[in-house]
Amino acid sequence: MKNAAPLSRRQVLAAAGFAGLAALTGCGSGDDGGDSKDLSKKRDGAMKEYRTGQRFKAAKPLSFSLLHLSNPNYPPKDDWLLWKELDKRTGVTFERTDVPLSDYEKKRSLLIGAGDAPLLLPKTYPGQETPFVASGSVLAVSDYVELMPNFRDKVRRWKLTPEVDSLRQSDGKYYLLPGMHERAKANYSLALRTDVLGRLGLKPPSTLEETAEVFRALKSEYPGSHPFSDRWNQPEPGGALLGYIGQAHGVRAGWSYLNTSWDAKAGAFVFTGATDGYRQMIEYLRGLVDEKLVDPEGFTQSDDEAVKKLLSEKSFAISANPQELVQNYRYNLQRQVEGAKIEMVPVPLGPAGPVVLGGSRLENGMMISSDALDRDDFVALMQFVDWLWYSDEGQKFTKWGVEGVTYSESGGGYRVADGISLMGSDPDAPKDLQKDYGFYNGVFSYGGSWELVSSAFSPDEKKFQEVMSRREQLPVDPAHPLQSVEQEQATLWDTPLKDHVRQNTLRFILGKRPMSEWDAYLTELKAKNMDRLVDVHNKAHERFRKEQG
Amino acid sequence: MVSVDRPTRGYRVFQGVNGLILTGVVVVTLYPFLNIVARSFSGERQIRAGEVTLWPKGFNLTTYEIVFQDGTFWRNYGNTVFYTVVSTAIAMVLTTCYAYVLSKKHLKGRGVLVGIAVFTMFFSGGLIPTYVLITSLDLKNTVWALALPNAISVFNLLVMKAFFESLPDELEEAAQIDGLNTYGILFRIVLPLSKAVVATMVLFYSVSFWNSWFGAFLYMDRIELMPVTVYLRNLIAGATGGTAAGAGTEQLTQVAANIQAVTIVLTALPILCVYPFVQRYFVSGVMLGAVKG
Repeated sequence: MKNAAPLSRRQVLAAAGFAGLAALTGCGSGDDGGDSKDLSKKRDGAMKEYRTGQRFKAAKPLSFSLLHLSNPNYPPKDDWLLWKELDKRTGVTFERTDVPLSDYEKKRSLLIGAGDAPLLLPKTYPGQETPFVASGSVLAVSDYVELMPNFRDKVRRWKLTPEVDSLRQSDGKYYLLPGMHERAKANYSLALRTDVLGRLGLKPPSTLEETAEVFRALKSEYPGSHPFSDRWNQPEPGGALLGYIGQAHGVRAGWSYLNTSWDAKAGAFVFTGATDGYRQMIEYLRGLVDEKLVDPEGFTQSDDEAVKKLLSEKSFAISANPQELVQNYRYNLQRQVEGAKIEMVPVPLGPAGPVVLGGSRLENGMMISSDALDRDDFVALMQFVDWLWYSDEGQKFTKWGVEGVTYSESGGGYRVADGISLMGSDPDAPKDLQKDYGFYNGVFSYGGSWELVSSAFSPDEKKFQEVMSRREQLPVDPAHPLQSVEQEQATLWDTPLKDHVRQNTLRFILGKRPMSEWDAYLTELKAKNMDRLVDVHNKAHERFRKEQG
Repeated sequence: MVSVDRPTRGYRVFQGVNGLILTGVVVVTLYPFLNIVARSFSGERQIRAGEVTLWPKGFNLTTYEIVFQDGTFWRNYGNTVFYTVVSTAIAMVLTTCYAYVLSKKHLKGRGVLVGIAVFTMFFSGGLIPTYVLITSLDLKNTVWALALPNAISVFNLLVMKAFFESLPDELEEAAQIDGLNTYGILFRIVLPLSKAVVATMVLFYSVSFWNSWFGAFLYMDRIELMPVTVYLRNLIAGATGGTAAGAGTEQLTQVAANIQAVTIVLTALPILCVYPFVQRYFVSGVMLGAVKG
């Protein structure tokens, strides 16, 4: 067979391939000329006078593209009353891109990366916007908040300026419109078998000391058991537990752990895992493990195993959130153990007093594609977002729907209409507020005024949140945006440090490492660039303060 | 003719041990699947208590009912069937033609053609460029976005090429003399002789299209266009993420307990039903391709 001199052809082919590649990468550089601050030509469909307390109504029909998270429990339907009523009230319709909840973030990155993102990108948590800032594909919303009276009003009335400032990037602007809570909402705390406590003449504990006492009493009654066996160990061991025990000591730990935290007294950032508060938290838990009051497996076992121990009365306390308390523990206990009662206590008070961690009032929020600025209806878009996501009326509408049709309101309380169920409230109801009407939809509805947020609480949660919301909020970390080179360096240091803290937290608590080695542990952290990491954050803070005043 | 000796003692021992080990392998392979099937029909309490092994305990169909009642599930299931059939058909036509051409040793530039295919095995455009390409070709939200980019699997192509090369040249020469053109030879002579490899390829392609979810997740913007794999993936995320809502509490815990098992059964079942029918082709097909590399 004759060889067909493939070499030269291959070269030709390769050359063609590279030429094509170059052409591909070359295109896509759009011009963004023009004065972006001059909005007079971008007022299509906008309202001339738009104020708080006023409903947004587009001057002509408008349509905006929206990234829409599809929750498997209520997948989007075109005939939802939500869309129809929204169109009726505001004259705005959505072009949806439905994305399954399972991979929402992946698709969002892809769409932004490919320059194909919808205008509105909700369900973005604070911090998630940072990777997109440098590319310029996300709008610097802080430049345009004057178009958003409701947003500004809420920030002012709820005193959220420090929180919003913490979102600022190194150019002093912020790129995310955060979801906002009037009051901090707590999620996790300790749940105890109150029927057993009652039998032993014990009161539910309100401090860490009392908690230990209660555990001791349980231990002496049931010597063979560990009174407390916990769950939520992924991806952090004791993720929830360390979170609220840490909070009682005034430090971020567990799921909410961050390497650097703001020390208001010193006026500087410090390394969280090396603070006294963190050490005290470890010592407290270590004491409990040492007295065999806490199950050592509770820091590694699966959620199922932990719940199984609770149901079979091998343990009497477990970490909880209001949903798990009602839907899992109480529901299953009542079927398996006669007369069993379980209640969640407000986070037991520790050395830090009645506090909650700062920053917990920000929720997931909205990024806006920078393409929006090129549109003639840009002003209307911002007004619409302001109304739907930030006005009292808009928030109430997306949560409860249309009064008289889907819900009724009396004396500050909300009730779904007859024949409509909300999260299993009426299993026989033919319709469901989420599935069939599209309200109470996580894409639009989160945060808001305390009145609105608490309107959906179960009695248990109401009691719990009432106490928690009266606690004082610790100061929010001041803005300290890193520049991109610093960010890269900090990320390299961040992960090994975090791993080391996580590992040793567990070893100290379980008694596998003596507390006398605490100083050695600090030296190890130094060897992993602890001080340099803190330095970078402090410098960034200084710089930002000087530049932005 | 040599008479066959009675098997020696050693051989019989070997066979016994062999049978034992293989039975073990079968059990090990089959057990997880049977366990999954059993779990999918079991009650939530029995599952949590770890009582379910090979047989359903506390027979319960709640999760199946919830999944079946959902119109989206059926629509997405239909999509999966449609996408699989269309994609497999396109893939078979293109792969067969490409492989047949490549099997002709007298073809000029054969090396380059093989090179182009193999090149894509090692290098790809990357996620975002590929996405941009599909989008600018206006393929988004159509079946073509799933069918065309995956139409030729290089591995399958090479297996098929090797198979075609193993067919004797004389057959085709005879057909040529009898007046058949290239297409006639392919359709009347080569393909009828290649049922084994064709069946194998259909199986390979359809299984991979049936199971795939990533392409649909990338290129489909509407829930009603998604295949069932994306639907079930999302369902699992919802049931295990603690955000499940819309079902009553009792249903909820039941669904959370065995949604994964139900999912596996539902997606694997149709493909499992196909296997026995193509099994014999499957074995000989792969062997034939493999020997003549």
